[in-house]
Amino acid sequence: MLLPKFDYHAPVTMDEAGALLNHYGEKAKILAGGTDLLVNLKKKLLLPEQVISLNKIEGLKEISLVQGEGFYIGPLATAIYLAESKLIQEKGAVLCQGAGRLGSPLIRNRATVGGNLVTARPASDLAPPLLVLGASVILKGLKGERTLPLENFILGPGKTAIQPDEILSRIFIPSAKGPASGAYIKLGSRKALEISLVNVASSLTLGPDGSIQEARVALGAVGPTPLLSPGAAKVLKGVKPKGEKDPVFKKAGRAAAQDSRPISDHRGSAEYRREMVEVLTHRTLTAAYVQLMKNT
Amino acid sequence: MKKVITLNVNDQEYDLVIPVNRTLTQVLRENLKLTGTKQGCSVGDCGSCTVLLDGEPVNSCLILAVEAEGRRIQTIEGLAEGGKLHPIQQAFVDQGGIQCGFCSPGMILTAKALLDKNPSPMESQIREAISGNLCRCTGYQKIVEAIQTAAKTNR
Repeated sequence: MLLPKFDYHAPVTMDEAGALLNHYGEKAKILAGGTDLLVNLKKKLLLPEQVISLNKIEGLKEISLVQGEGFYIGPLATAIYLAESKLIQEKGAVLCQGAGRLGSPLIRNRATVGGNLVTARPASDLAPPLLVLGASVILKGLKGERTLPLENFILGPGKTAIQPDEILSRIFIPSAKGPASGAYIKLGSRKALEISLVNVASSLTLGPDGSIQEARVALGAVGPTPLLSPGAAKVLKGVKPKGEKDPVFKKAGRAAAQDSRPISDHRGSAEYRREMVEVLTHRTLTAAYVQLMKNT
Repeated sequence: MKKVITLNVNDQEYDLVIPVNRTLTQVLRENLKLTGTKQGCSVGDCGSCTVLLDGEPVNSCLILAVEAEGRRIQTIEGLAEGGKLHPIQQAFVDQGGIQCGFCSPGMILTAKALLDKNPSPMESQIREAISGNLCRCTGYQKIVEAIQTAAKTNR
């Protein structure tokens, strides 16, 4: 499969990239890792006249810690970089787990977090972990920067709140307000190069008395966007589990299943997916809780 | 739109004038005639186009050649030295890790990247490392054994 014709730009600053994007508007596409864009170009699903690469801009791959507040991830941080980052392992291991399941090792060496979010696939491996970490995205446009919670950024399959003049410039992850842990499980029929049938990320933050201060459960591939389950969060909040076998984790699984909106397709039926949401929610919560007990 | 670029492939510099919509696979195969790199699925699923970019295995079919400028590219042609096969290549031959041969360049480069980082990987780590490289002959067991043999020879 051949790539269609386009003009290529490799700006060296974000301002220059922004100016190019503003000049060409909808005729331009941003190139990050290319693992989605080049496939879409080859399949002629997208036919931009201009391709603007961010890869010659310095400083977009790094993670930077803001003491006491949280940390920023550059949009060009690759999946492998996230999967192996010691800082993320410490502050949000659920994201390492998601990044480690994306595509294949070859894809992980190229695929970026910014690209993964802007592509907005319902089965994204990075969005559910980022959702449970409370991530927000920073969008840089002509009029300056704006910050959006991730749940308000992804609007539908392939659809986000990004404006034609905007570039996703950073991702912010706030510090947890107490001892916290999370887990991600991806269900597919093979271990690599797989689009999730269902995926679930969970995170638990404990209060000073050992009760659950905040719980987040995010579900992938069971709705038009990766989605947070308000039901599971409500069931868990304020509960002090009596161990990993506490019935509250099963109850949260059932609540998450009710919040899911799966469809039937060639990968699986809606009914099966809903059941798997229940199972995986329970498993991720239990794994997160066991990890928390180990840490504290 | 064309661009003048310099590519560093197997420690040789090549000055090229290429259309910007050419992938690294195309430029390696068609401009440089390095046809050891294969084009399989062309969408990043099969790994037959694997090359090493600054030592990391990547799908060259999903990289614009212009974006590979300034990086160190290694292809299967760069492994043998003085007419002698690289130990990983030799292990693939000896252990029957090569059947039709289409996946071999990619498999061997992925194996090289793994062994450069981790000289004595566990079997599970080998299987994980090659999980983006498909063998259409399904000869995975022999491929894993070849990589284990290469790891032992290297030690």
